[in-house]
Amino acid sequence: MTTDSHAPETAPSASRSTAVLPLAPIAEVIESNTRSFWAEVYRGMETPAFGTWVRVNQPTGYELYGLVSHVEVGSVEPNRRAVALGRTEDELRREMPHVLALLRTTFRAQVVAYREPDGRLRQTLPPSPPQIHAFAYACEPEHVCALGAPFDYLRTLVSNPDPAVPVDDLLVAVLGTVYTAQAHPEEGERALIRAGRVLSRLFRDDHERLQSILRRVV
Amino acid sequence: MLDLHRLQVQFKDFGAYRSLEETRMAVRLERALAALEACDGCWEELRALTEREKPGWLVPALRESPAAVYPRGTRPTPVTVVAADGSQIYPDRHVEPTCFLLNVSRIAFQYGTHEEPLMESVPAFRYRRDEVDELADEVAVDASSEVVSAFRDEQELEALLETARRARVEGRPIVALADGTLIRWMLRAMRNRALEERLLARYTRLLAEFHADRLPIASYISMPGNTEVVNLLRLHRGEHRAAELDEEASLVGLVDRRLFARTLAPGERSAVFESASHIQREYAPEIRIHYFYLHVPHPVAPEIARVEIPAWVADDGGLLDLVHAVVLSECEKGEGYPLILSEAHERAVIRAHERALFYELVERQLTTSGLPFTGSNKQASKRRPTV
Repeated sequence: MTTDSHAPETAPSASRSTAVLPLAPIAEVIESNTRSFWAEVYRGMETPAFGTWVRVNQPTGYELYGLVSHVEVGSVEPNRRAVALGRTEDELRREMPHVLALLRTTFRAQVVAYREPDGRLRQTLPPSPPQIHAFAYACEPEHVCALGAPFDYLRTLVSNPDPAVPVDDLLVAVLGTVYTAQAHPEEGERALIRAGRVLSRLFRDDHERLQSILRRVV
Repeated sequence: MLDLHRLQVQFKDFGAYRSLEETRMAVRLERALAALEACDGCWEELRALTEREKPGWLVPALRESPAAVYPRGTRPTPVTVVAADGSQIYPDRHVEPTCFLLNVSRIAFQYGTHEEPLMESVPAFRYRRDEVDELADEVAVDASSEVVSAFRDEQELEALLETARRARVEGRPIVALADGTLIRWMLRAMRNRALEERLLARYTRLLAEFHADRLPIASYISMPGNTEVVNLLRLHRGEHRAAELDEEASLVGLVDRRLFARTLAPGERSAVFESASHIQREYAPEIRIHYFYLHVPHPVAPEIARVEIPAWVADDGGLLDLVHAVVLSECEKGEGYPLILSEAHERAVIRAHERALFYELVERQLTTSGLPFTGSNKQASKRRPTV
């Protein structure tokens, strides 16, 4: 599937975005619930990294924010498994072009925040899950910055972790995104400190755990 | 339910019978090999004999010595290879209204390049009175399975032609590969003569379009059961003159592929033969089907495949070598079967759950429109056996 057929969306709103070019969706929702969704990455699109933010727009005007917490690459067809072929990627492209065409990348995102039609941002689960076949977009730094203090979503992540995801590693990746989304390193550090405080309250006396996370961020 | 104890006795007999047959075939094979060698130097005489005698068996027309062997050549790069395959949901006698589904895949690979492959399948739902009627056998009420299969074959060839036209790149060699035979002998089995003629006319028209567009087409037959070349050797041995068939002294029952398994080295192809199938009379001379046998190499299970080509491809040495090299390369990548045909099959196949879903959707569509859908009680009882 190529992205050509998808009508590109314009940036969310002039006040929140400085992007001039229309953005192309990176993926499409293929399974969803109020807590999380699966999306298939479009061919040729960059797979969103573990711990980064993606967003999905609802026809109702809601914008849902999800954290990429699990990425998978595998066969498109459930009854076909990838096998070792002993060829380089270039050789595969030249002589077995179907092999790469039959692979797909999917990711699961935990939905931990949403924006109401009036623009209000809430760091909690959305009223309804994203629609199947809805487009998923990579979040721009301004989206990520908006998802900052009070960092209530960190509480959701820690108290109701996805059993299939090592939550501390997800936190390491999320905090890294918090830092890099800021335009200046000093702002990044300030955001990190605030997020760190939230985590320290969440972990109470478990300093060892907090230290282990923070050590891996910086 | 299968009573395995009762079956066991029959299996013992089966084993004994097979080993006896194998011994017989081994003897016949040696005779056939000797005959093939003997007619190598005098094949023109044999050709004259095939034209003169009417042995009542299918004997190919000869163009060269039947013992000729050709080594593999190198496959050009880049090269375009296209394929199509089809599957169907036959009309179900237990479901009303009568309808059926054809699903035809289209595959195009631009080997040696990084160009994106084409892989798709196109379903065609047939339910209109004229569509169902056209395929209905005058004797049977429902559109019979044979007719639907014939219609699917036609759709496959049409899809292959369109895909070849679409995928063709100026200056790049191309081969269109089909699965199964290009000889429509199965149409003869139909009882509807007028329909047979219509289907055959449409099929040969499509074959003629490949020729008109200079799109070399070949079809691949795995484990062919043909005996035409063996029949030729029987003629050479004078078996047609015998008043009564002497099973023990004859080559009867031996298949061509066993003969060529002994004469062809891995990757080699046999001589080209012209099929003498009666239905070929309906084919224009330039699209009459010819064939050669090919030793498909495989570390565990090598096999002799049959490759069919129209006359205009057989007459062009360059195209013949191209088909030979492309089919071999396909088989090597596909572990003994053309890779692109496997992909075409994968795209075309309708799995059991998809078939069930199809009927569910038909039923839902009718129910939504307030119309009846009738699945017979017999069918329902098969789905829900009780104790």
